Amino acid sequence: MAKRESVGKTEKVIEVPKWERVFDDFRALSDETLRLEEPKKEKFLETMSKFLTKQNWPFLLPYKLTLEACTHCGTCAEACSVYIGSGKKKIYSPVYRSDMLRKIYKKHFTLSGKLFGSLVGAKDPSEEDINALAEAVWRCTICRRCAMACPFGLDNGLITREARKIFADIGIAPDELKDKGVENHLKFGSAPKIPYEGLMNILEFLKEEIEEEKGVEVETPVDKKGAKYLVMNNAGDYLAFTETVQGIVEIMNYVNADWTLNSPNTGVFDVVNYGLFYSDEDFVRVMKAHVETINKLEPEYVVVGECGHAYDALAHFMKDLIPPEERPFKVISFMELVDGWIREGKLKLDKEKNPEPVTFHDSCKWGRTGGIYEEPRRILKAACKDFREMHPNREWNHCCGGGSGFAIMHKDDFFKFRMETYGRVKAEQLRQTGAKIVATICANCKAQFRELVEYWKLDMRYAGVSELVANALVY
Amino acid sequence: MVGELAWFIGNILPYVTLAVFFIVLVYNFLKWVVMPRPLVWSLFPAKRSTFDILLTIGKRIFTLPGPRKVDKTIWVLAWLFHIGLIVSLLLHAKYVLMPTFPAEYYLGSIAGVAAAIGTVGFIIRRIDIAKDKVDSTFADYFALILLIVTLSLGAYLRLGGVVEHETMWAWVQGVLTLNPVQPPEHPLFLIHILLAQIYMMYLPFKTLVHPIAILFGQKIILDERHIYPR
Repeated sequence: MAKRESVGKTEKVIEVPKWERVFDDFRALSDETLRLEEPKKEKFLETMSKFLTKQNWPFLLPYKLTLEACTHCGTCAEACSVYIGSGKKKIYSPVYRSDMLRKIYKKHFTLSGKLFGSLVGAKDPSEEDINALAEAVWRCTICRRCAMACPFGLDNGLITREARKIFADIGIAPDELKDKGVENHLKFGSAPKIPYEGLMNILEFLKEEIEEEKGVEVETPVDKKGAKYLVMNNAGDYLAFTETVQGIVEIMNYVNADWTLNSPNTGVFDVVNYGLFYSDEDFVRVMKAHVETINKLEPEYVVVGECGHAYDALAHFMKDLIPPEERPFKVISFMELVDGWIREGKLKLDKEKNPEPVTFHDSCKWGRTGGIYEEPRRILKAACKDFREMHPNREWNHCCGGGSGFAIMHKDDFFKFRMETYGRVKAEQLRQTGAKIVATICANCKAQFRELVEYWKLDMRYAGVSELVANALVY
Repeated sequence: MVGELAWFIGNILPYVTLAVFFIVLVYNFLKWVVMPRPLVWSLFPAKRSTFDILLTIGKRIFTLPGPRKVDKTIWVLAWLFHIGLIVSLLLHAKYVLMPTFPAEYYLGSIAGVAAAIGTVGFIIRRIDIAKDKVDSTFADYFALILLIVTLSLGAYLRLGGVVEHETMWAWVQGVLTLNPVQPPEHPLFLIHILLAQIYMMYLPFKTLVHPIAILFGQKIILDERHIYPR
């Protein structure tokens, strides 16, 4: 379908595929993925039944608790960034989305639902309902701000993820995360399929940039066995946010650390784990590949670069999912490392080199699910002349709308959804700070900010924290 | 006939009510206790010890920080509703231990009115949020409607002096000491205690799932994750 769009004084025709709408005015899943005409109710119910047993042991308790104990008080809605950003549309409230699954749960898996039907909110889903749910679960970034607000500690974000798991099990997951994400990651070492030579070229380029800009020689060790620190980055940073990697390289050299990066020759070098967003099975496949790769290199520490969900996966989930004897290394974030080095006096910084007002965006995966709130703040206060808080912040910060892989999902006009809902709230938050730079430590957030700044005409730029620290280094 | 009905509602049904209430409540609690939870996906700031978790759960139950942060209306209504209801129930329970004292009349009335405002507020809110948040089910309304009728009757019985406190006290004590005496036979009183018992039997199936959820849900949210020293 073609649509006309005004660009300045001219008008151009942009080709935008418009798939049939099944939930709202957008589509996240392609027709090939969603397979609208294919009956899927029976398979869905069968899989849902499986995930309500001990087979789904990691999340069974919070999943069933949230399905059963919600009182429909609606508190979660007022905490939800997409709901607020959409102008408070009912279909985007967390409890509405969870209820789409809860109705099915009650009808097919509870006695009260079987006996009393709609009186207790039970409903037998139609094929249309299943298709709508498949799309609805891709309107939530699982930022879990709603879980912070729920008086009972129930987690609508978790419900969204559980519903995604059911769909993934019957073959419905965004190809950006599944085929082009996890499968590419496991086959080629990184989701964007960066070959060894490509990675080496990028690192060589970064080396030259640092030498040219700062006049210092740096090393970019790759695949070094037994180094103290193995730094793993989001592969997207090597391609789209090279300043972040450049900053990390410069800092590691500045403190003369015993460190290394790794390449596809050792296995997976992309620190992302898209399985976290939609499938326990794929999540663990990627996690095992990470562990196998890390063990080959035998570092003392794995350092997670600027990638939020990777920190959640490696620093937290891995402790529960991989036995200690199989992971003889520690996991630390680059922020913790830099924060420590600043406090130890190993990094000499000049705030005057970053004179512009800077604010910090707490990524959901670094903050609410990661616990890294203060480190980046201490770092930015040490590296920037004018640090300003965004409000609300820390555990109450709003999701930017790039989380859960949304930042790399552009099909149909999903981009517009990201900008007009989550993006609207975040743009307003950013404007209110008066900052010229929004610093963040997550590649998904950066990708969202790249678009957001343009879309909402914000007079600011985004930057990685490592980039700002490197810029402030005193030689 | 009225006497037999009163005897059933006042002296037989309470034991059925208590049995249903406790059996279902304990079942609902144990169901979550025995369910494995080997993986932690809590939210930060997480707590580092069981004591801290319990302390924070306690604080959260009484201060409701989530609703206070994002939705003041429900925060105020929840306060009125729960405190009003708890005080009303405690004053009822007190009949077992001691006779009434003068201030109780006013305290009970205030508590009843607070609970009634909270209940009506919740009903209005449910109707309101159906427009832009979520639809409530009949089951959601049922408990509130049952409660508002019970509360209204209770308030009328109290303010109107329909039933003598001493008679009622003797009846409650009789039930609890297994020495039943004939309950007051005023029809409104019988309806009041019948509805209250239906409400109590209904609670553990639906409404009381949420206080149980607070213990498990909030614990999940607050549980310690693997935190490195920093």
